[in-house]
Parts: sequence; structure tokens; C-alpha cells
Amino acid sequence: MDLFNDLALGFSVALVPVNLLYGFLGVLLGTMIGVLPGLGPVATISILLPFTFGLQPQAALIMLAGIYYGAQYGGSTTAILVNLPGESSSVITAIDGNQMARKGQAGLALATAALASFLAGTFATLVIALAAPTLAEVALQFGPADYFSLMVFGLVAAVILAHGSVLKAIGMIVAGMLLGTVGIDVNTSVPRFTFGIPQFGDGMDFAVIAMGIFGIGETIVNLERTGATRVYMQKIKSLWPSLQDLRAMLPPAIRGTLLGSALGVLPGGGPVLASFSAYVLEKKLSRHPENFGKGAIEGVAGPEAANNGAAQTSFIPLLTLGLPSNAVMALMIGALMMQGLHPGPQLMRDKPELFWGLVASMWTGNLMLVILNLPLVGMWAKMLTMPYRFLYPAILIICCVGVYSINNSALDVLIAALFGFVGYLLYRLQCEPAPLLLGFILGPLIEENLRRALVISHGDPLVLVQRPISLTFLALTAVLVVVLCAPMIRSTRDKVFAEESS
Amino acid sequence: MKTKQLIPLLGALTAVVMAATGPAAGQANYPNQPIRVIVPFAPGGASDFVARLIQPGMSQFLGQQVVLENRAGAAGNVGMDVAARAAPDGYTIFLGNVGTISINPSLYPELTVKPEKDFIPISIVADTPGILIAGTKFPPNNAKELVDYAKARQGKVNFASPGSGSLNRLEMEIFRMNAGLDMNHVPYKGGAGPAVADIIGGHVELMFTTISSAIQHVKGGRLKALGVTMKERVPAMPDVPTMLEQGFPANVSSSWQGVLVPAGTPRPVIDKVHAALKEALSDPKVVARMAEAGVIATTNKTPEEFKAYLAEDAKKWADVIKKTGAKPE
Repeated sequence: MDLFNDLALGFSVALVPVNLLYGFLGVLLGTMIGVLPGLGPVATISILLPFTFGLQPQAALIMLAGIYYGAQYGGSTTAILVNLPGESSSVITAIDGNQMARKGQAGLALATAALASFLAGTFATLVIALAAPTLAEVALQFGPADYFSLMVFGLVAAVILAHGSVLKAIGMIVAGMLLGTVGIDVNTSVPRFTFGIPQFGDGMDFAVIAMGIFGIGETIVNLERTGATRVYMQKIKSLWPSLQDLRAMLPPAIRGTLLGSALGVLPGGGPVLASFSAYVLEKKLSRHPENFGKGAIEGVAGPEAANNGAAQTSFIPLLTLGLPSNAVMALMIGALMMQGLHPGPQLMRDKPELFWGLVASMWTGNLMLVILNLPLVGMWAKMLTMPYRFLYPAILIICCVGVYSINNSALDVLIAALFGFVGYLLYRLQCEPAPLLLGFILGPLIEENLRRALVISHGDPLVLVQRPISLTFLALTAVLVVVLCAPMIRSTRDKVFAEESS
Repeated sequence: MKTKQLIPLLGALTAVVMAATGPAAGQANYPNQPIRVIVPFAPGGASDFVARLIQPGMSQFLGQQVVLENRAGAAGNVGMDVAARAAPDGYTIFLGNVGTISINPSLYPELTVKPEKDFIPISIVADTPGILIAGTKFPPNNAKELVDYAKARQGKVNFASPGSGSLNRLEMEIFRMNAGLDMNHVPYKGGAGPAVADIIGGHVELMFTTISSAIQHVKGGRLKALGVTMKERVPAMPDVPTMLEQGFPANVSSSWQGVLVPAGTPRPVIDKVHAALKEALSDPKVVARMAEAGVIATTNKTPEEFKAYLAEDAKKWADVIKKTGAKPE
């Protein structure tokens, strides 16, 4: 009964017109920055932070939160339409989503993403309302050794992402990990691969590499195509999901929601890890794994549900313990502090209207996102009928502006251009870029946590198998390796590969 | 080498010329255009928090807009570099802190900015005491018990820090050195948050951090406080003894933020900014808001007082870095 009272209190806050308005502004802005590649939630919230100081704390927090999960929604739009993931968590969506768009199913893919995200958003709101404190305690149990094993599991799973050669996938992952080592080392403060350029001290930004490989690389690839094939899509078909489509997308969306909500609570790569774990899971469960990478609706529904669920449950450590699980959450702490509020276990008790108001606003915000995005589906899909000479220069300009806006650095634009050629080269060599980006994100996390775990254990590697959580993930990794090496799987893989290259 | 030496010389010459001619006419009616404050860290952090609180008061006193510019990166060195290269006309102000001004020059020998030469200090604006925290399952309850406990387990006790060259790491190194302890350093990145989380979770035993990032957890019973680094006890936590009263006088240190301007800025401008800071920090609302976050609002009587404080602070950390070998190899 308490829950109903709490939720009623929450909705009484969230449904106040001014809070609804700021919630709407938040999700609208979030969708926009999600669609514009490069401009991510961290940069946007940084810019808007000062403007929220004059607002009521509830309105400020509701708007900032809306920007964050709104961006997860919007990020999938460009991933599907033009194979350009706007946020790190939509890299996975691009794999099958873009293939669907190429087959003329852009509308269906966008609708699937929106509906799966809404399902996940609704469920994650309930999770926060019911189990936030308990989940936060679980997250605290995760030590550096456990994170290491979880990330290793993720990285091995990344091999399954590729629908081509396993060897190439591994090569891509390793290349990504190497790129991730650029920057000043955490443990020794020694600069690695910075070539004396101070801007490299903090490492390379994910968006710079992604914009280069996907956005600019894709543009170059399309220069090779001629005439009619350059047009992205001849005919728009199936704008709305049929009953059969709904039936196909529902189970993956539910599984993705559960997986995403669980992984989002953990700090670090929450939404990213969630979206590709969901993809791997769907590919393994599917009766037609060969369809993955060629426009499988499950490959859009699962990951999209997972990344939205994770984006929302990543608020749990912040709201219940006052601990940020990522850069956006750290900004939220700054926003609360400027309001004279101090996130921590006391916040939920002393300011229940703030906590429950935010939780309720997540649901109203998700509803607004669906209402906002579904009517746009048709418009977005039509955009693809634009001729190459208009569409691609526009993509290039948006990429450059987006990349520049991250650090106001012209060097970043040059690096993105360089990665554009890398992207083209990878396309010619039939190497998929998704595993490279996952290596880039997970590599540094793996290194950091492994070294931290070993420093804490005074160099004893047994710590990795002595902790139950860590041991579980290592065992799962071993199972995964066996599955990967099983000859049956390999033969399917080769068959797929053969079909592709023909 | 030659050109490298020439650049600062040229810079100094330009500064002299500009100080003699350009702004001279503008000094009397300073400020007549918006002023930018370079904050060398991201929005939402400790420096940004302080900057945004003093911004309205400064703006009101000076009768001009005060614009904050967050230039984060390389432990604050990126923003410091931008500020040091700016024209010394009072329209670019730098919000430095203990890390950028006092610690980084000793830690990064390749740093082109030399704070004591390239900046004129105006005043300290905020002081955040440090606190020694440990997980609730860690047996020692105060600094003395910690020394005994760690002495019996030399090299076994782990301490966290928000980075290899951070103030909090150096605070522990001083403590360790004076008590004759061997402890194991576990650096984190991404601010105090992840490190504090691992202490609460019991993965690492203890660390020095700012009061603001620990006070809620200490009050909520998830962390214990072994000592604070102020000269006097902190009003918000009267039960926690100071490191000084526990016999560790070297562990009186703080994480400060202060305002500096590029070298060559004319004296009347410096005095005006100093007056603006005093005015902004005398607002009871600003003082109260800072106090809620565990930050003490404070100013220096004269710019010279701040200069003397900085000289001492920089020397202190240079010594610690030299003696403990905390430098990157």
C-alpha cells in the first residue's frame, strides 16, 4: 500500500503543469541531441546546467533526466536511418536497424525502437519504485575483480556480434582496445600513445571515432555507388508494425528490458553493455541466427529495450546512495548541490516528493517520447528518399559540427576525418566496426579494473576466482568460448559468411 | 631550445607594452565589457560549484556580465594554459585550485605554465576541509588506532585516491611518511565518487577525501570518519577529531579554490576584482549554500596575503612529492 501512496505522491508532483512542461522540454531536447550525432547528453546537460539553477529542484531534475533518456531514444534514429549511431548505446541498433532501413523497413525499425524503449521505460520505472534500495546494495557488492570478469564476458560476447569471420571480429576488438589505451595512465600518470599532443591526455572521445568510422566512412563508401543504388531506399514499405511484427518484437523487448534494467544499476558501461548483451542473447536464442546483421527485427527490439531500461536504472545508485554511476549522473549531483540538496540515502526520506516525482516523471516522459516519436517516423523515413547529393553533404556537416562541439577542438574534426578513411578501409576489407567500438569502450574499463583488483589483492590473481560474482562471470565466459568454438556454430557462421561475400 | 626561451620573453615584452599602453586608458573605467572566468574543470564539479555561487555577486559589484567558461582536461592544465595566455587586462580571470596551482607544477615538469610567474594571485575564495574516511568494517576508529593497525600489517592496508597526482593521495602520503607506515595505493578516475563507492562497499579500506563527498555517508552510518584536516573541528561534524589534535600537524591541509589573473594585469584592476570577490563572498546566502556542501567561504585581506599563502602551499606539496616519490616515472 505504501507503494501506491508513494507513487500517488510522485504523480501529484510529475503532473503539475510546470513539471510536465519541463519534462517535455527535456525529452524534446534529448531527442534532438540524440538525433544530432556527436552532441551527447553530457555536453547538453553541461550547457543547460546553469539555466536549471533558477528552477524548482523537481523541475530541474525532471528536465535533466528527460534529456538523458530522451537522448537514448533519439540516438537510435540516425543509427537506423543512415547507419550513424548518435550515442554509444545505439551502435548495436545500427547493425540490424540500418539493414532494415535498406530493405525499405525504416518506418518499422523506428517504430520497433520506440515501442521497445517505451516498454523498457515503463518496466524500469516500476523497478526503481519497487526495488531501488535493494538493487543499490547489490551494486555496492561489485568490486573491481567482479567488474573485470563482467567486462571480459562482454568482450568475448562481442565476437558473436560479427556475422562474418571470427578472426576479423577478434582483430577489430583488439584494435579497439589499443585505441582505448591512448591517454594518461590512471595508475602511473604516464602518457601512452599521446605523441606529445596534450589533447590526447584524456584519451580520444567515443563520438569522434564513431562519427569518423560510421558517418564519414559511410559517405565515402557511397561515393563508389552509382545512380540508382546511391538512393538509400527506392520505396517505403511497412511504416507501421503489423500484428505479426508485434508478436516478433515483444519477446526480445521483454528480455532486453530485464537484461538492461539489471545491467544499468552497475556503474561504467551500463547502457552499452546492456544493448549488446541483449543483441547477443537474441542471436543465440533465435531460430534464424543467420538473419541477424541483415535486418532482424529482434536485433532492434532487444538492444533498444535494453539501453533504455539501463539508462533509467542507472539513476538508482544516484538516488538511493548519492553515488554517480556515469558522467551524466555526476552532473546531476552538481545540479542537486546547486539547489542546496545533497544526494544520499537521506534524500529519499527527507525529500520524498523529489524522489517519487522524478520516478513518476520517467514514466510520463517515456509516454511523451512515444507520442513525440511515432508521428515523426513517417517523416524520418521520407528523409531517406532524398538524393545522395543532398543527404550526404548534410550528414558530413552535422558530423563535423557535432565532433567539434564535444571539446571545441579542431583536432577532433581532423581525427574524425582520419577515422573516416579507416571506416572506408574497414568496409573494403569486410571488417565490421561494431566490435572495434566495443573494444574501445570496454578495453580501458577492463584494464582499469584488472589493475585495480590486482593492486588491492597485492598482486594475487586468485582474487578473480575467489570472489563468487567474479567466478560466475568467468565461468559464463568459458561457456561462451566453448559455444563459440563448437563446430556446428562455426559451420553456420561460414555459411553466412559465404552468402555475404557472394 | 632558443625559440622556446624566446616565446616567454616575447610574451613578457608584449605584456609590458600592453600594460603600459593598451589597457591604461581602459583602467579607469574597468570593467566596460563582459568578464570571463576560466574554470579548469567540468560543470557540476567542486570548482564549478564555487564559481557559480560567486558569479552573481561579482557581476553585480562590477556592473558587467561575468561569464563562466569551463575548460576541462589534463587535471586542469588545459584551462590554466588558456587563462595564462589571455591578455592581462582583467577581462580573463582564472579560478585556480590547489591541484592546478600548487601541485601540478611539481608533478608535471613539462608544464609550460609556471603559475608563480604567469599569474598574479588575487584572493582565495573557498576552502574545503579534507576528511579521513574508512569503511564501517575496518577496525580502527581514529588515527592512532589506524597507525597501530597498519604497523602490524605493513604493506597490507589499501588506500584509495581520485588519481595519482591528486591532493587526496598526497595527504595520505604525508600521513604515511610521518607515521612510518607502508600502505598500498589504489588510484581511481572520475572524481571521488567511484572511490568512495568502493570504500562503502568494503573493497578498499580508507582514503582522504573532501568533506563534501563524504559527509552524507558518514551521517548515514555507511562510512566512519577518522579525522578532519582542519585546524579546528568542523561544525557540521563536532564528534570527529582533527588530525592536528591526534598528533599529525602535517595533516593540516585543504582543497582551496582561488582567483588569479594573468601576469601583467594592472594594479587598479586587481584591487577592483579583489573588492568584488570580498563583496560576493560576504553574501550570507552564498556563505550558507557553501556551508551546506561542507565548503568554507573565505577571502584574503590583500592579494599579497594570498601570494604568500600560495608560495608556502606550493613548497609544501613540492616537498611531499619529492620525499614520497609520488611523481609519474
